[in-house]
Amino acid sequence: MSAYQTGLIVQISITIMTVVAVFAMTGLAGMFSLGQAAYMAVGAYVTFVLSRFLDIPYPITGIISILISILLSWIIAVPTLKLRRDYFALITVGFSQMILALVLLFEDFTRGSIGFSKIPRMDNLLLVSLVGLALIIFWIRNLKYSRFGRMCIALKNDEIAARSFGIDVYHLKIKIYVLASAIASFAGILMALRNRVITPDSFGWAQSAEMQIFLFFGGTNSLTGAILSAGGLKLLPEFVRDVTLFGVSMQEYRTIIYAILIIIVINFRPQGILGEKEINFKWLKNLYRRFKQSILKKNESYD
Amino acid sequence: MALQLTINGISIGAIYALIAVGFAVVFNIMRFSNFAHGGMISACAFISFFFQRAFDPPPPFFVTVLFSAVCGMGIALLIDTLGYRRIRLKNSPKIYYFLMSLTFAILIEQILTVFFGTDIYGFPSVFKSQTFEIGSMIFKTMNIVILAVSVVILVALVWMINKTKIGLAIRAVAINADTSRLMGINSSVIVTVIFIIAGVLAGVSGVFLGVQYGVFPSVGPSMMLKGFIASIIGGLGSLSGAIFAALALGLIEMFLTFFIGATEATVILFGIMLAFLFIRPQGIMGIIVEDKA
Repeated sequence: MSAYQTGLIVQISITIMTVVAVFAMTGLAGMFSLGQAAYMAVGAYVTFVLSRFLDIPYPITGIISILISILLSWIIAVPTLKLRRDYFALITVGFSQMILALVLLFEDFTRGSIGFSKIPRMDNLLLVSLVGLALIIFWIRNLKYSRFGRMCIALKNDEIAARSFGIDVYHLKIKIYVLASAIASFAGILMALRNRVITPDSFGWAQSAEMQIFLFFGGTNSLTGAILSAGGLKLLPEFVRDVTLFGVSMQEYRTIIYAILIIIVINFRPQGILGEKEINFKWLKNLYRRFKQSILKKNESYD
Repeated sequence: MALQLTINGISIGAIYALIAVGFAVVFNIMRFSNFAHGGMISACAFISFFFQRAFDPPPPFFVTVLFSAVCGMGIALLIDTLGYRRIRLKNSPKIYYFLMSLTFAILIEQILTVFFGTDIYGFPSVFKSQTFEIGSMIFKTMNIVILAVSVVILVALVWMINKTKIGLAIRAVAINADTSRLMGINSSVIVTVIFIIAGVLAGVSGVFLGVQYGVFPSVGPSMMLKGFIASIIGGLGSLSGAIFAALALGLIEMFLTFFIGATEATVILFGIMLAFLFIRPQGIMGIIVEDKA
């Protein structure tokens, strides 16, 4: 496989990872966060800056960075989630701006807007990201069908009703936000390893918004929808790389295309492309069962 | 020195107040955070920049402001028709409004980026004399003009909402859209009026931001954040709270920027906002809007 293809696969799996994290938060619990890219920044910067200046191998600092993201998200969540939902979205926007301002502030360590480069090469990045992606998808899928996930869906549909059924809404929200942030920071570390250079621009609020757009395109209630739309929309610009419009490569227009697509989807099919449906292997099981039955019937007729 | 900083701070705060009020007005009626406001501001900044440059000699400044306000109004109504109308008619959950406003913010910013790049365009100078002196103090003409125009607009808006019949209708719809429809208020007209107000405010603040900070695609979204912070400190949905908070924010930011540094100021402001949420989540004005699930 060429380096381009490997890089593309890693990039797509990072995108899917972040969208799955957003699915856990927005799709399950109905919380609208715009600061997920900031946690990616925390993951990427803390890991490699600590590793460079304290001379610790980056897998260890990576774990530290995920812990720091967890702590940060907890600090943000505790005052905000007691209030109505709108505050949460606004605070997360402010938080992502603050993280980028901090990156610029500690210019001596992060090299500011020039970008932090010379990140060590990781040989089996493809394997690590694919395994990580599979684990995260498996985890979130199990979460969706667990007691925890059902409580989240109850909370999303009607918060007051959920509370009256004895669900601790506040702590549930904190938990799911912390979880999503931890996944985002892991994705951030992978992204730094893939690009081998990190700049504050790549973690702006537009990135966080892109995750939401991917999620809503596939359908907020469908995990497979989120995965498919994230992969598909991320891959889409690669096919039109050579097409130009007004003298600019179509790739430059990708966000505009995403925006127009989502405007159409929300207007005419607000539940997203897949809606409530999940793509799974139940139909295969049913097919097998029917097949077995038909063989049994045949055998019976032979008797 | 301190007086000059104060004047500059209040004039920045006045722009923040325009943004925060434009944001709070939509929030009051529609109960969602209109992220598209930042995109509208950017678009208006570019429109006014090209309008100002298109004529020789350049048109008077107030004509540019007026033109930008009209364009802002048009953009706001366009966004309402394309984005929010169907959601409103279908009575979809609030989260769709969030996503839609976000999408428009990104769409506008990206269109501007693709066609004009991320460079900062300097606004051509609008006044013959950039500064004037009173005694030993030197004031920038622009700051005074911004302050005056903003005060006039804000006072007019507050008067309209508190004293006129349409203002009464707006307040009624803000409390409950369905009940006010039963009382004979055409709430879809009120929504249109709200977007006209938001568009005009975005247009005016777009010109001012362009003059003060230069014109670039993310000028609106980055400044909109200050409007958010102001409306949170002022209490979401409270107009007078947002205005006071925005003026205070402008002052604090100006002093922090002068004595500590611009990047540090962003971090400190966010810290202030977070502290505010801990201590007094209902905002300065003390009106808390309950979350109706």
